[in-house]
Amino acid sequence: MAAQIINEISEFLQKGKAKNVKTLVEEALQQGIDPKDILNDGLLSAMMIVGGKFKRNEVFVPEVLVAARAMNAGLAILEPHLVEAGNEPKGKVVIGTVKGDMHDIGKNLVSMMLKGAGFEIYDLGTDVDAEVLIGKAEEVGADIICMSALLTTTMPYMQTVIDVLKEKGLRSKYVVMVGGAPVNEEFANKIGADYYTPDAATAAEVARKAVENK
Amino acid sequence: MKKTYVLDKLTARVTLELVLHGLDCAEDSPVYEEFAEEFHRIYPKAEKMIRPVGMLGFGELPEQIPAEEFPAGTKVLYGVLSIGEELSSASTKAFAEGDYVQGMLYNAIADAALFSLEQDMARYLREICEEHHVGIRKRLEAPQDIPMEIQKEVWECLNLKNSLDIDITCGYMLYPVKTSCLVFVLDAEEEMFEVQHDCSRCQRTDCRHRNISDLTLQIINEAGNSEIRCRKGSSLLEVLVQNGFHPDSPCGGTGRCGKCKVKIINGRANITAADEACFSAQELQEGWRLACRLVPEQNMTVFVPKEQTYQILETGVLQDKNEKTECAPEEMKQETEASCFNVAIDIGTTTLVFQLLDGRSGKVLHTVSMLNRQRTFGADVISRIQAANAGKLDGLSKAIRTDLRNGMQKLLDESDVNGTKIRRIAIGANTTMIHLLLGYDCSTLGVYPFEAVTLSMLNMNWTELVGGDTSCHAETVIFPGFSAFVGGDIVSGLYACGFDEKEEPALLIDLGTNGEMALGNRNHLLVTSTAAGPAFEGGNISCGTGSVAGAVCSVTLEKKVAQIKTLWNKPPVGICGTGVVELMAELVREEVVDETGLLEEEYFEDGFPVAETAEGKTLVFTQGDIRELQLAKAAVRAGIEILLKRYGVCKEQVTEVYVAGGFGHGLNKDKAIAIGMLPKEFREKITVVGNSCVAGLGRFLQEGSEEAVYTLVKNAEEINLAMDAEFQNCYMEAMMFETDTDE
Repeated sequence: MAAQIINEISEFLQKGKAKNVKTLVEEALQQGIDPKDILNDGLLSAMMIVGGKFKRNEVFVPEVLVAARAMNAGLAILEPHLVEAGNEPKGKVVIGTVKGDMHDIGKNLVSMMLKGAGFEIYDLGTDVDAEVLIGKAEEVGADIICMSALLTTTMPYMQTVIDVLKEKGLRSKYVVMVGGAPVNEEFANKIGADYYTPDAATAAEVARKAVENK
Repeated sequence: MKKTYVLDKLTARVTLELVLHGLDCAEDSPVYEEFAEEFHRIYPKAEKMIRPVGMLGFGELPEQIPAEEFPAGTKVLYGVLSIGEELSSASTKAFAEGDYVQGMLYNAIADAALFSLEQDMARYLREICEEHHVGIRKRLEAPQDIPMEIQKEVWECLNLKNSLDIDITCGYMLYPVKTSCLVFVLDAEEEMFEVQHDCSRCQRTDCRHRNISDLTLQIINEAGNSEIRCRKGSSLLEVLVQNGFHPDSPCGGTGRCGKCKVKIINGRANITAADEACFSAQELQEGWRLACRLVPEQNMTVFVPKEQTYQILETGVLQDKNEKTECAPEEMKQETEASCFNVAIDIGTTTLVFQLLDGRSGKVLHTVSMLNRQRTFGADVISRIQAANAGKLDGLSKAIRTDLRNGMQKLLDESDVNGTKIRRIAIGANTTMIHLLLGYDCSTLGVYPFEAVTLSMLNMNWTELVGGDTSCHAETVIFPGFSAFVGGDIVSGLYACGFDEKEEPALLIDLGTNGEMALGNRNHLLVTSTAAGPAFEGGNISCGTGSVAGAVCSVTLEKKVAQIKTLWNKPPVGICGTGVVELMAELVREEVVDETGLLEEEYFEDGFPVAETAEGKTLVFTQGDIRELQLAKAAVRAGIEILLKRYGVCKEQVTEVYVAGGFGHGLNKDKAIAIGMLPKEFREKITVVGNSCVAGLGRFLQEGSEEAVYTLVKNAEEINLAMDAEFQNCYMEAMMFETDTDE
């Protein structure tokens, strides 16, 4: 019984049917199913499947968007129950586009996918200063710092952030992930970041593995 | 000569296709419908947030910024385009609230809008280049062709902070985000004009708009030459419409009417079946094609002929309790010390009429009329509903709102009245026009049970309704309608003719494509739409035309030879609605047709000759045309008969018959009766009222009785003739003609 309804939730989420996901999550709760199971097996794993399909070009951005929206719908119902059940997020992420750069769409998609992977997200927006980024990470006890840059002229600022982390003796405390059109693995290695990811779905996967290994 | 130019006439052109393509949302995606719907829902809001600005200015490449093969000092034109920050902020906010779809759509719309501004910029570039006798050798964009630092140079050179309120970050990014910065390298060779974005050199390899196969079209028309850029796959008609041209296309681009003619000057275009049906072999060889069937595969040069001009009926006959006050046409513009004014707007399927009224006396001070630019989506209501359902709702809505803004501006400018002095505005239109105006879903309008999204009287602010920058913020009322078929324009017409006060039954007939009519009094009204068809407007008639200069509008036969009169007394170009009716009556009288409408053998093959055009072509009236007219007049007559029957009165009991509509104005009553369109019992009771819609709006603005209008609507009942068996019989009978003349 439990498995069936959770399967249905997963199916509907993958199809982006927010209303159905909401209704079924409510039903599942009424049936007494553990909210953590609903979250992990119904919502999160479904988003992972969608992410995988996206990477393989089986689905594209629009399908991912509606799936994420469906997930949020289910999550909204689930949230209070999760809090009660003492559920912890998979990890905490602080994310922002670096100083001097105002692009935000890519970063928004990463936030969306990370949320879909069960993380607690602190999105600081664009044009973010090193101090602000690091300050927030300290404040909330983040696991991961994500940086986005869309210009060759702003990419170097990622190095600045990492340098400040080192100066403060905080470098080993955080996993540092970078992304953005002009960024690549070579650059990531050069500046001393932990991971480079080319798209939001990969970012979610890598983030998940990163906190598991910590 | 100037150094910098502010581009003030920029229009963003966003289409559903462009936006969804930019999102990688293919038509066969399971979420396509959803995204298309969401797009239509949010586009009106998004559109208002687009604030296009731009600048062009001369400069020189600075020392420290290397640009491929161009040394420091190279003369350039810097160009900047932006749509402002509002839409981007809305996108960010949507994402933050978890509304990802909306966030992405807003962003995609913003990108499409920004990209589309380049078309307008190209026009400015041309003008500036001509003025300065230079050409453009290459287009450079940061960072692929030239380092990002050039944006700082541009920012300073064009003084962007002060001129367009654009900032620059320490990373050399211009802010608002949706801003593009271009460098055009100048050349002494004036013929050069390499301004297009070169996708093959662009580093955004994941850009969905990446299109190495863009086309450039040169359009030659009355106004001169223009260059437009398009993607492969759209028809030439679509491309022209998207770029602000208005080719005739009454059938809405479906290849049926043959009016969207263009001539290929340079380039190749296949000949389609529709082309063959429309053009002679000679014409085809000369390069004439139908724009709606032509899908350009390569760059070409095209000539677009002038659109037909129409004579528009602007007057109305307003009846008040004590006197008939005839409103005079445009000539009666008055200087007035009035401190406030009202405006009445009739949104017709084909034409729009705006009237400025004195706030106190209600007198018509000025009138402006124009063609409804929605006609490029189709001449009649059904074509437009179909277009709306096919994803063109936003285009249709935008079209009418643009026309409303322009019409109002023209009205104010020509009367030298400030927008702030307008107290109230009233709008009357058929139900479909209202749906398109407000961007309402039209999918239920065209199918049983024919439901409208709303039929109520609506109140709103003018700027809320039409958007844009205007000094007029008047309270605006949209008249309520009866049904999907019979709308606020008829309610207004009834109000103009005083149906809210009548004790005895009267009849109102609107002779247009829809052929609406209403019978009754203040307590009870029956309304219906006869869908008479376009014959009264010259449609479906072989030599038919609208009310244009040279249209044959009056015909008398003397021993089977036609004596004609034309509109504006110009040489004949076609036969318009009134001409068709008069001709028919004469053919019946002289027994050139029998009672079934069959033409005499002599004329059966080639049609009855009516007149000769200036080019020597004979305008004829064919057997097919007669059948078209029979369909139209029978629909009107049968409609009248059924209304009378259902209401329960006979013709003698009807006290007044009001005939309205543009066509109704020039109507010869006797001839309309002679062909059986109107019953002879009505002869002495017919009043031709011209544009009754606008007259009714005027009365409403003067007397302001919402209750009277509501009562009219409340006491009305709609009859659906298509479902009425008796109507079918009546319709058959009404096709016939009475050939015995007993006057």
